[in-house]
Amino acid sequence: MNNHPMMNNTAMNRRTLLGRSAQGLGAVALASLLDPQVSDAAGTPGVLTSLPLPQKAKRVIWLTMAGGPSQLETFDPKPKLAEMNGQPMPESFTKGQQLAQLQGRPLTCFGPQHSFEKYGESQIEICSLFPHLGSVIDDVCLIRSMTTEAINHDPAHMFMNTGSQIAGRPSMGAWVTYGLGNEAENLPGFVVLTSLGRGGQNQPIAARQWSSGFLPSRFQGVQLRSKGDPVLYLGTPAGISRDQQGLDVDAIGQLNRMQEGLTHDPEIATRIAQYEMAFQMQASIPELMDIQGESAETLELYGCQPGDGSFAANCLLARRLAERGVRFMQLYHKDWDHHGGVKEGVALKAQEIDRACMALITDLKQRGMLDDTLVVWAGEFGRTPMSQGSGRDHHNKAMSVWLAGGGVRGGMVYGASDELGYAAVEDVCTVHDLHATMLHQLGIQHEAFSIKFQGLDAKLTGVEGASVLSKILM
Amino acid sequence: MKTCVLNVVLMLTAMLVHPVKGADRVSFNHDVRPILSDKCFFCHGPDSERREADLRLDDRAAAIEAGAINVNKPDASELIRRVLSTDEDEQMPPPSAKLGHLSPQEIETLKAWIEQGAVYENHWAFVPLKPLPETDQSVTSLIDEAVERGLEKRGLTRQPEADRHTLIRRLSFDLTGLPPTPEDIETFVSDKSPEAYEHLVDRLLTSTAYGEKMAVDWLDIARYADSYGFQVDREREMWPWRDWVIRAFNENKPFDQFLTEQLAGDLLPDATQDQILATAFNRLHQQESEGGSVEEEYRVEYVCDRVQTFATAFLGLTFECSRCHDHKYDPITQKEYYQLFAMFQNIDEAGLYSFFTNSPPTPALELTDAATRERLDALQQKVEAIEKSGKELKAARAAVFDEWVKTQSESLSEEKTTLPGELARFPLDEVTGGKLANTVQADQLATLAGGNQIVPGRTGNAVQFSGDDALNLPLGNFGRHEPFSVSLWLQTPDVKDRAVVFHRSRAWTDAASRGYELLIEEGRLKWSLIHFWPGNAISIRAVDPVPVGEWLQVTVTYDGSSRADGLTLYVNGQPARVDVIKDNLTKEITGGGGDNITLGERFRDRGFKEGLIDDFRVFGRELTALEATAIHDEVSAESLLSVDENSEATEDRNQQFEWYLSTIDEEWAKHLKTLQESRAEWYQAADGVKGIMVMRELPEPKPAYVLFRGEYTQRREEVFAGTPAALSPFPEDAPRNRLGLAQWLIDPQHPLTARVTVNRIWQSLFGRGIVQTAEDFGSQGARPSYPEVLDTLSAGFISSGWDVKQLLKTIVMSQTYRQRSIADKKVMEDDPGNEWLARGPRFRLSAEMIRDNALASAGLLVQRTGGPPVNPYELSESFKPAAASGGDGVYRRSLYTRWRRTGPPPAMIAFDAPRRAVCTAKRERTDSPLQALVLLNGEQYVEAARVLGEHVYLEADGDVPGMIEAGFLRCLSRRPDASEVEILSALYREQLEYFRQHSEGAEQLLKIGRAPRDAAIPVAEAAAATVLAQALLNHDASVVKR
Repeated sequence: MNNHPMMNNTAMNRRTLLGRSAQGLGAVALASLLDPQVSDAAGTPGVLTSLPLPQKAKRVIWLTMAGGPSQLETFDPKPKLAEMNGQPMPESFTKGQQLAQLQGRPLTCFGPQHSFEKYGESQIEICSLFPHLGSVIDDVCLIRSMTTEAINHDPAHMFMNTGSQIAGRPSMGAWVTYGLGNEAENLPGFVVLTSLGRGGQNQPIAARQWSSGFLPSRFQGVQLRSKGDPVLYLGTPAGISRDQQGLDVDAIGQLNRMQEGLTHDPEIATRIAQYEMAFQMQASIPELMDIQGESAETLELYGCQPGDGSFAANCLLARRLAERGVRFMQLYHKDWDHHGGVKEGVALKAQEIDRACMALITDLKQRGMLDDTLVVWAGEFGRTPMSQGSGRDHHNKAMSVWLAGGGVRGGMVYGASDELGYAAVEDVCTVHDLHATMLHQLGIQHEAFSIKFQGLDAKLTGVEGASVLSKILM
Repeated sequence: MKTCVLNVVLMLTAMLVHPVKGADRVSFNHDVRPILSDKCFFCHGPDSERREADLRLDDRAAAIEAGAINVNKPDASELIRRVLSTDEDEQMPPPSAKLGHLSPQEIETLKAWIEQGAVYENHWAFVPLKPLPETDQSVTSLIDEAVERGLEKRGLTRQPEADRHTLIRRLSFDLTGLPPTPEDIETFVSDKSPEAYEHLVDRLLTSTAYGEKMAVDWLDIARYADSYGFQVDREREMWPWRDWVIRAFNENKPFDQFLTEQLAGDLLPDATQDQILATAFNRLHQQESEGGSVEEEYRVEYVCDRVQTFATAFLGLTFECSRCHDHKYDPITQKEYYQLFAMFQNIDEAGLYSFFTNSPPTPALELTDAATRERLDALQQKVEAIEKSGKELKAARAAVFDEWVKTQSESLSEEKTTLPGELARFPLDEVTGGKLANTVQADQLATLAGGNQIVPGRTGNAVQFSGDDALNLPLGNFGRHEPFSVSLWLQTPDVKDRAVVFHRSRAWTDAASRGYELLIEEGRLKWSLIHFWPGNAISIRAVDPVPVGEWLQVTVTYDGSSRADGLTLYVNGQPARVDVIKDNLTKEITGGGGDNITLGERFRDRGFKEGLIDDFRVFGRELTALEATAIHDEVSAESLLSVDENSEATEDRNQQFEWYLSTIDEEWAKHLKTLQESRAEWYQAADGVKGIMVMRELPEPKPAYVLFRGEYTQRREEVFAGTPAALSPFPEDAPRNRLGLAQWLIDPQHPLTARVTVNRIWQSLFGRGIVQTAEDFGSQGARPSYPEVLDTLSAGFISSGWDVKQLLKTIVMSQTYRQRSIADKKVMEDDPGNEWLARGPRFRLSAEMIRDNALASAGLLVQRTGGPPVNPYELSESFKPAAASGGDGVYRRSLYTRWRRTGPPPAMIAFDAPRRAVCTAKRERTDSPLQALVLLNGEQYVEAARVLGEHVYLEADGDVPGMIEAGFLRCLSRRPDASEVEILSALYREQLEYFRQHSEGAEQLLKIGRAPRDAAIPVAEAAAATVLAQALLNHDASVVKR
């Protein structure tokens, strides 16, 4: 029995690298890398070689709005809350509930700080700060009844990413690349991008959020840094050209392969693959990051400057990663933690993301990729309808998320929160339901996708059970 | 080619399910507990809150009584009936639990177990260790035999002993964290004596590098870092504790002492400075100073972190689960969690550290060397001698006073009209251009801010405070050696829970209240001098509350002694009854900013809202009682000053004498001057001594409570220090504090301490523990792969007197350890984690070892033990970039790298070094492409390759095969074979040719890093040798221990 199914993959044996040809590895690899079309798209297969379900989505772009966006200034209109602005929050809503910083304080209704408008043929009502998104709302499925278990940032991210509040579980990107493999030859299967907001509430996001947990480490997310070298020490040392380093990497590979022959050590295969990927990334990452070649129209669409480290630039990079066969892209955009100044804060965030989200959907669609790319927009929790000064506290009873593409119905609203936006009341969704649905679209049956860990059958969708949100699927 | 298409679930569970065959005896721990734990305990287990139907299946008597188990009669047992049921309302686990059904095999196991008597066993890890068997056999051979039996059962055999090159490399990394030198290798390989291996072990165990290697794992456990963590993440100096750890390992301090000193060194009789320093272990958690944070919230977090670290480090239990509820799987109640909490909270600490000052949070140990200690002692003795001579002088001056009195007129009142030493007086009557007059120093005006108002006062006007705005005086930066006094009238409009009347400080928690202050706290006046609140301060508080709506005359004085009895509070001219709140001031009260007296407001504190202050006076001396009376009421002072020849011994007479000494007697004035000078000298020396956070037990335990959901605001039942009932009993004669806790841990009856420690040591050598979950020995943790090995080693460890070096030697002397790390393909694939030990250890080196190996191979490593942290090159690439250290700082061993929690060394993080936010018992071991880039392109590694290249070039005098051989020995500890020489020769030739044509590139390459280049080597050759050395440093065998 083979416990490391990935060890035996064809790709690795196929590339019994190039030998020491006249031109050396550098030149050959370089040639294939410079043009992604030339490169063999075989990639690396996953453990699930036959999928139980039809695969509607081949890849995921997850837009994580870190800090906890307010549903009340984004996607969940609440006229009743506006009416009750300044009045005490009816106790029937809040009695006995756990709150974060508002625990034990007087609770006052805080009306939505921005107006809402209807958009698209579907006439979905969203905050007027998001007109661009409104222009593509007919491709978007809005869920207004999402809930989560956690109420503080780190465990809430952990829950959203791994289905468990306690660190140590694999992040969804790791699960998915483990199961489905990676189609990209020259890039990791799970890539993480981060961008800072301008408001200042930029809590750090720990690398454990994209950990492979108890899955083999090559499934962990590889984070590209938004400023400076996108990857630490990506560039060759001064005086050493890429070709030169290619020869060195080739020699290292040969030595290691001899060692492998001597030792039958499967770990050496991992190491060889690691050096090959590193070498590929030295070419593929700069090529990926260089968005100069994008047309003026595209840059205008996203509204970003090449290399500005913005969320929009990351959205464009995500599309480029998707084109190159990367399985799972997760984009963190920070600064949504509006305990104070939610009005100005969300307005600033809207400026940073509204156009970029529209651009991503539009761009994927015009390239025919939206059908098999699942885009998800979600924070780690929502915010209270009660005021905390000029802001809102963390809240886990109601939040809004949206999905687009990947076989999900567009132009629909799923679920609802109560009239004050305090708790989801109709078609209440859990994070596990969201995960189950995403896996379903990827062709994976969530109940059967598990691994034994610490004596339990560990699943992304947890032990409490989860339901695929079939109503939102095409 | 993918040959086996596998259902993931089947593949992974197949390895773990142990079917029960026919008449086989069912083992509760092995066969039954995992089923019950997975499927039943969540609702029918130890957690009383979650328990359904009041049924528990973790307790035999309860399960039988409830009818769930009918002993020997599975078919008459409700448990079996329910798991077999297909009725949705009856079946177990219920469909709503979504735990699925029990498999037929699992049901058969349960049936067989009930049939065989439903025997429960204590969880294996909670069963006390058996003593070592009475045998002449060494522990080493006992464990070899146990492993051999295990292998035999699985049809496996041990691998032959590894070759000597492999052994010395393995041993050197395992015992010192460093590669062997080529000379060491030569010596060992050519030593044919049977004791050669043992001699090598002994030699390595005595090197100072041993302590450094052992310290690394302990720093992970202790979450050691050079910064506080969280958002502000300021740097802090805890490295003397790290040096203590290195020393302790090198001195082979027995583990029971190692543990006791770290947990409770401060509680040991006649504790030494080193023993107290050891307790810094408990203060290494993250700390917060972010503005607006709730002090108590973070204090609770710190204590919880101590409990969690303690439990992970010594018990191997996931105690943190019980912070919010009874443990779901292990027999630990929430109450027991808070019983441990009670032991770890009993220090005088604040939940926030100071933003505006750099002092370590209290309690802190002042770290002195012998010379400093001697000097401080001498200065202290000098002060004490002067204080003593003061008493004698006082007695002598009584007679002089008597004579002097006779020379005075009937009343002393002529002298009373002036109070000497007055520095400033603010009547607070009138504000002109935001300024208020000073009648002592006309040019030194007070400044009124914001919403404070001038209102009618006790005499003339007074200031009424908004609570948010200050009244600033242009003086008041007194040192703790200086006597001073402040006098004022005040009126409070209500009972203040907390209000700042006046202070000299930058802020409350943000400056740890550094300075002095008069507060109203719980309605009472509180007068304090503070270095760091709460642990380094003197403070007194009135017993009687401040009356509401009345004018009160308040005078506070300080005598320069740094003692609470040097503080006096007078209310309406009379000494107030006070409680001493704090009496430990050992450091300066100045600094941090806010160098002048401020009234009515403080940064992020509660001001004297709506309160009134009038006639504020400051004195540069300690006023006497008589003067305090005079300030309040001149008439009553006058009566005190009337001389009555017949009442020599009365209180009045004493007050007169004190007043006389303080204001008239020249000898006494001289004495005070000398005293102040000598105190200044002593304090100055003491203030310069660096402190480090440690534990110092409070005399009275702080009350402890169960915190509902673990939240600091939700106090419930009061609890007292104690340990979990399911483990060994608390020793009867042990104190109920951390020292008792340590004694409980090191009791040979304790089932966990030795097992957990031995397992971690084993893990450090084999890459995985005998219990794979080093952090969890509970019922959800892994079971030991070789229970006998773990127990034999643990019992041997205890009986050796907790001798860590001997434990290591016992393991590394075994054949199990000395095997080749490579077995045939089948074994490698069947048991990739080497659970069954059918081969020797093999795994990627740690972040520290990889970097140290590169430095050592290049001859760059500086082997100096201990000292402050340093910045290697990589910190310039960190999230919070810092310049590389000067001098040889970039060549120190990696454990000395500065560990900033929000900007940890990025290359080391790439190799899975933890961020040290919390206790880590086991590192991840990942292989990502980012690691290859670090080794190929990181400045540290390129420089190491450059210097290594020079060395091998010079050693071989430019002969290429010679260079390759020298490089192999340095980096891989072995010689290359012919094909390896061929591959690398080709590489060298290609590079040489290239660099001959691109000398500019070669020059650039040779400038990387700060090590000087050897100009004797031609540029192209040196550059080609660099690339050659890079290939060696990136070779699998350079980064993997085999």
